[in-house]
Amino acid sequence: MAPTTEPKQRSPSIVVQELTHEKIRFALLHTDTSVANALRRVIIAEVPTLAIDLVDVIENTSCLCDEFIAHRLGLIPLLSEKAVEMEFPYDYAGDDESVTDVHFELNTGICASAETVDVTSNDLVCYDPRVAPVNYHPGESIKGKGGAMEFEAQAAARGPDDGPDIPGVVIVKLRRGQQINMRCVARKGVGRDHAKWQPVATATYRFEPEITINEELMATLTEEEKMAFVESSPTALFRYDEATRRVVVDAPDQARSYGYDGECLKKAEELGKPGLVDIRAKEDAFHFTVESTGALRPEEIVVNALKVLERKMEVTRGELDILEREQDEQVAM
Amino acid sequence: MATYSREEEDEEIGQEDAWTVISSFFEEKGLARQQLDSFNEFIQHAMQEIVVDEMSSFELEPEQQHVPGEEGEGGEKKTYKISFKQIYLSKPMVTEADGMTSTLFPKEARLRNLTYSAPLYVDMEKTVTTVTLDSQKTEEVEKINKVFIGKVPIMLRSEYCSLHDHTDKELTELGECPYDEGGYFIINGSEKVLIAQEKMSSNHVYVFKKRQPSKYMWVAECRSSPESGARAASACVARMLHSPGTKMEPGCIRVTLPYIRTDIPLFVVFRALGFVADKDILEHIVYDFNDHDAMELLRPSIEEALPIQSKKVALDYIGKRGSAVGVSREKRIKYAQDILQKELLPHVGVDEECETRKAYYLGYIVHRLLLCALGRRNEDDRDHFGNKRMDLAGPLIAILFRQLFRKLTKDVRLYCQRCVDSGKEIQLTLAVKAKTITSGLKYSLATGNWGAQGAQDIRAGVSQVLNRLSFSSTLSHLRRLNSPIGREGKLAKPRQLHNSHWGMVCPAETPEGQACGLVKNLSLMALVSVGSPSSPVLEFLEEWTMENLEEISPSVISHATKIFVNGVWVGVHRDPADLVRTLRELRRKVDITTEVGIVHDIRLQELRLYTDYGRCIRPLFIVEDQRMKIKKRNIEMLQEKDITGFTWNDLVSSGCIEYVDTEEEETTMISMTIEDLVQARLLANNETSVQHMYTHCEIHPSMILGICGSIIPFPDHNQSPRNTYQSAMGKQAMGMYVTNFQLRMDTLAYVLFYPQKPLVTTRAMEHLHFRELPAGVNVVVGIMCYTGYNQEDSVIMNQSSIDRGLFRSIFYRSFKDEEKKQGSLTKEDLECPSPETTLGMRHGTYGKLDKDGLICPGTRVSGEDIIIGKTSPLPDDDPSAASNRFTKRDCSTGMKNSETGIIDQVLLTTNDQGLRFVKIRVRSCRTPQVGDKFSSRHGQKGTIGMTYTQEDMPFTCEGVVPDIIVNPHAIPSRMTIGQLVECLMGKVAAMMGKEGDATPFTPVTVENISDMLHQCGYQKRGNEVMYNGHTGRKLEAKIFLGPTYYQRLKHMVDDKIHSRGRGPVQILTRQPMEGRSRDGGLRFGEMERDCIISHGAAAFLKERLMDQSDAYRVHVCQTCGLIAVANLKNQTFECCKNPSERMKVVQVLLPYACKLLFQELMSMAVAPRLVT
Repeated sequence: MAPTTEPKQRSPSIVVQELTHEKIRFALLHTDTSVANALRRVIIAEVPTLAIDLVDVIENTSCLCDEFIAHRLGLIPLLSEKAVEMEFPYDYAGDDESVTDVHFELNTGICASAETVDVTSNDLVCYDPRVAPVNYHPGESIKGKGGAMEFEAQAAARGPDDGPDIPGVVIVKLRRGQQINMRCVARKGVGRDHAKWQPVATATYRFEPEITINEELMATLTEEEKMAFVESSPTALFRYDEATRRVVVDAPDQARSYGYDGECLKKAEELGKPGLVDIRAKEDAFHFTVESTGALRPEEIVVNALKVLERKMEVTRGELDILEREQDEQVAM
Repeated sequence: MATYSREEEDEEIGQEDAWTVISSFFEEKGLARQQLDSFNEFIQHAMQEIVVDEMSSFELEPEQQHVPGEEGEGGEKKTYKISFKQIYLSKPMVTEADGMTSTLFPKEARLRNLTYSAPLYVDMEKTVTTVTLDSQKTEEVEKINKVFIGKVPIMLRSEYCSLHDHTDKELTELGECPYDEGGYFIINGSEKVLIAQEKMSSNHVYVFKKRQPSKYMWVAECRSSPESGARAASACVARMLHSPGTKMEPGCIRVTLPYIRTDIPLFVVFRALGFVADKDILEHIVYDFNDHDAMELLRPSIEEALPIQSKKVALDYIGKRGSAVGVSREKRIKYAQDILQKELLPHVGVDEECETRKAYYLGYIVHRLLLCALGRRNEDDRDHFGNKRMDLAGPLIAILFRQLFRKLTKDVRLYCQRCVDSGKEIQLTLAVKAKTITSGLKYSLATGNWGAQGAQDIRAGVSQVLNRLSFSSTLSHLRRLNSPIGREGKLAKPRQLHNSHWGMVCPAETPEGQACGLVKNLSLMALVSVGSPSSPVLEFLEEWTMENLEEISPSVISHATKIFVNGVWVGVHRDPADLVRTLRELRRKVDITTEVGIVHDIRLQELRLYTDYGRCIRPLFIVEDQRMKIKKRNIEMLQEKDITGFTWNDLVSSGCIEYVDTEEEETTMISMTIEDLVQARLLANNETSVQHMYTHCEIHPSMILGICGSIIPFPDHNQSPRNTYQSAMGKQAMGMYVTNFQLRMDTLAYVLFYPQKPLVTTRAMEHLHFRELPAGVNVVVGIMCYTGYNQEDSVIMNQSSIDRGLFRSIFYRSFKDEEKKQGSLTKEDLECPSPETTLGMRHGTYGKLDKDGLICPGTRVSGEDIIIGKTSPLPDDDPSAASNRFTKRDCSTGMKNSETGIIDQVLLTTNDQGLRFVKIRVRSCRTPQVGDKFSSRHGQKGTIGMTYTQEDMPFTCEGVVPDIIVNPHAIPSRMTIGQLVECLMGKVAAMMGKEGDATPFTPVTVENISDMLHQCGYQKRGNEVMYNGHTGRKLEAKIFLGPTYYQRLKHMVDDKIHSRGRGPVQILTRQPMEGRSRDGGLRFGEMERDCIISHGAAAFLKERLMDQSDAYRVHVCQTCGLIAVANLKNQTFECCKNPSERMKVVQVLLPYACKLLFQELMSMAVAPRLVT
């Protein structure tokens, strides 16, 4: 993608280390912080998802006020595969509502139970078979009208079956005689506008540490000192090998969790052995962790983010081209 | 086997067990106990005592009336005696306008603006004694049972409250908050607290040194008021003058007597009391004649009184200086005698035979004076808390009730006299005006002006509206103390924290500024004595061979111990140690009430016993032989109280714990911790070392704090003013102020969407219900500089967190209106006013009203929308209005013009007069935004300076993003180390999934917490490497990051934001209005003016002060310099009485206020002339 005039051409790559249905860990290699951070920022703030954005309150006799419930509804993560096909409501000028809106209904009826009852995301009735709250089990709703529509998206996103033991998101609790009846509209949006559109709980990276042990100095330490040195790091960084009586770097995967707290360096100084170990952050290797809210599959989020990034590049290039052409014209004149 | 169980029984308790004891204390007492105890005492005893007081019954005889044509001398003589007997108080009731009576519950009283009060009935007795001409006496007794004499407001959760003895579930069903402690009243729907009033204790001798240029060297005073409290205190002051020649030498002693204009020489007073010989008098003062120094000090006094050597002469001497002038000698002597008997030291006695005891007491006063003058004792400490008494709700209402009841009896008497005089039958039910007490009590409780209407010495601010901002502010308000000393007083002494405040008054919680140190708050475990009769104590003393004052020879006194009961010297005892031990034992067995104070002052040879009300008391563990009386077994019984039924009171009655008042505390030796006792025991084995003999042990030192102070984690790591600041700020924090807030219509209320219980707590919080009704959120706080938007006490907040509901809150405002009666016929109407018939309608929208004049719940309102429509009929007899189409005037209620919201609830009911009454609650949702105020629990407040979304915030390698970023510069100068420790402990607590314990004065150290954090896999001091959210680069510094409990304070920009270009002006001066609520201008004040002057920007200044304010144009006649009458249309001007001649008139621009001033001057016959 980089212009051919760039002196050092880099070929960034991604190595996926772990992938579950809610979390991805991958290494981004051969690039620098600006790219890594751009990716992180886009994952958090610019990957579009769906979230309830409009609520019409028809009846609300619960203990929480309308705004309160509306806010809670907004924060329920919705399966957002469809988001790619949809339009942002503020970009779309047409009349076709189905391009921007997805409708839901929340009608509990008058609560008859003597006990307090939880109204959960399972009580939402979805009108689009592809959009539903995460871990949606309509059979678990108050009304218990099991055997509702099958949701293909649901099945796809859930991966290994979580089963109905993952409870729905509690919206409000009802006492006998109380009722909620609301109509909700979910829309496409991005995390920058409101956190409810964020596809991830967190997306972060860390630099890969490069650890070198000064074996000569290390050999001067007594056994206790070695133990103390190993203990000094709050995270598992070094290991005292009983057999060889040497301090070794813990499993590389463990060491990657090093938080650069500098405790062992401090300990080394305390022991009167500065330079015992050297820990450096690699400038071009980033270990990403992306935890999804469930709205999109984690790998999907990353791919979508890259697409967003690519589109941004294209826009920038387009602008640059225009600028270049204008300059050329000026020169020509 | 036997020895084994014995050992187990004697096992000592540990610190953790002390907390079980504390829990049982709060379970039993709650936090408003002093209020409730005091009010219960009033209802159960004081009220009855006031009613049957001898002053309230009276006798009447028909006065001779001159009736023409009737024989003056009657045949028989009748006397009527009316007295009051038993009183009855029912449960709180409400009487509707139609006469229906029903039990009243607080919820209804609050909602319908009723007064939560119970009717009081009294049995009355009328005795008619008829003496016929042949002096035959017949007595006729008529009893009228249960006469209604008024309604008494009832304190919530007191014994007469409808909520008394209800379970939590029942309370919830009654619409009450089960955590509410009561202790307040409901007057016209608003909750009122009676603030405890501090005063100097009476019947106590104080000796003070007077500084130059005072006439006196030393002053000993005693404000005496008898136990019944029916009379105002009368002071007796003995003063020692400087000797006339040298200023340094002590002179004679004089005594100030009540109602006597000048001071009387000491020996004259003694002679007037019947002690004539110098030796007799000296015996009463110096006790030991070998004390030459003291004797010598009295020499000038003896010499001064030489001319007066008999009782008669002395009495005459005093009588001459009384208020009665020009009366005979006999009368004067009688007058003086009366004063000595009734007014001098009334607490000793007011009977005739009290002279000996009064002489002894006066002698004692002088004795104390001499001790000080000889330098054997220091002057008394005015600020010692033992010398203070608190007037709580009970005594305060008793004062008022006594006044009002007197007034009622006076009215009854007047009515009866009229009946008797006119020969009518006395109808007692008609004679009693119940309104006197009902409205009298209501008036004082509603306004806070204590004392009958129109009476002098009214105290203002005694009753206050209960603060309902947060639950802790409510609790704290119920435990407030006030010292009614002038706020302006420069004297710093009464404001300072005194040693004797330990355990009684919170050292942190006091307001800043004018009332600093004058308004105090009770510590958590402090109680206030309610008072008990002194007779049981006196009887006991009698049994235990106390020698009565009348019976002893004065020479005994010097080697016996003087015994005082409530400040009255009742006798002496030769073996006080034994007596004191028995007294203590009796108190520990609850044979005499536990709140009796036993002070054995060995140095002064005095034993002072107190049974009076208003003393601060607190519980302590009893220690004997360096071992606590409370044992593990007691704790086990407490822990299984469901089975054993063992409560706090059993602990007290089993002699494990006793209440100690401030004065008694001075005679005790209290070990601070249980550990100290162990140390003392260890030392006891080591003979060479000095050891303390403890008599008591603190239950826990953290109990010295009050309600707000107990919420602060690690207050012992903070600079003390910071704790004071937090104590004030905790009262402004939003949270959940009561659980029944949905059922209440408070004028203002703030409720947090998602309040959290703090991650780091103190043990005391459990009893404040802070976990159940929290006021804050645990947020991840980073202390760092980031982008620069958190300078000068502003903070950066995570916008994404805000989106997810962080610190979101609801603001409720209630509006109230009622159909008032105007005269007897017309009343106002709730309706939607129609513009056709209504005069004076406002600019706002009436369209949101329904036909009934009320707005519908769920309607969005803003600006000046009308929410209650109401009209009052125009009087149609007005001739000018006859042709008018208007028949009504608009009296509607609109929203506050800067607020918006949604109608939450509409309540339509009737008030006690049966008139329609509306309350409307408007709700608005407040999300945090730039400018809103937040604070940690360490007096670190700040406003939001910027909000950043998650991707812009700095992050750790785990993806943790701070919710709030505070500036590190907020820490060093303020020294709130507690906040750092809280953060550290919060991090550990969050990682371990436990609550952190931040109770002060516990052995937790930062090192402990650090080690635990290290084990959790974090840098042990809580620092973390963070990455810049904008650039993604690692930040140079490691950031101190962790969860800290933050509070959202009620100050929000939306309520303060204000600007104005043009707008309303005042009518009088035509200058812009003041204040945001009137859309007023921003004041360009004197200092701003000075600033502009110094810039030399004259034109700008003129623009600000005149053109932008109240510019005005007048036409001034150049002949006289006064304002001319101008008709600009015709270009004619009139002035100086010659309109014909073409005048010289000039236009002058000046401020309207200036024009106004000129006209006002002219109205005072001053001619301000403008020379142009």
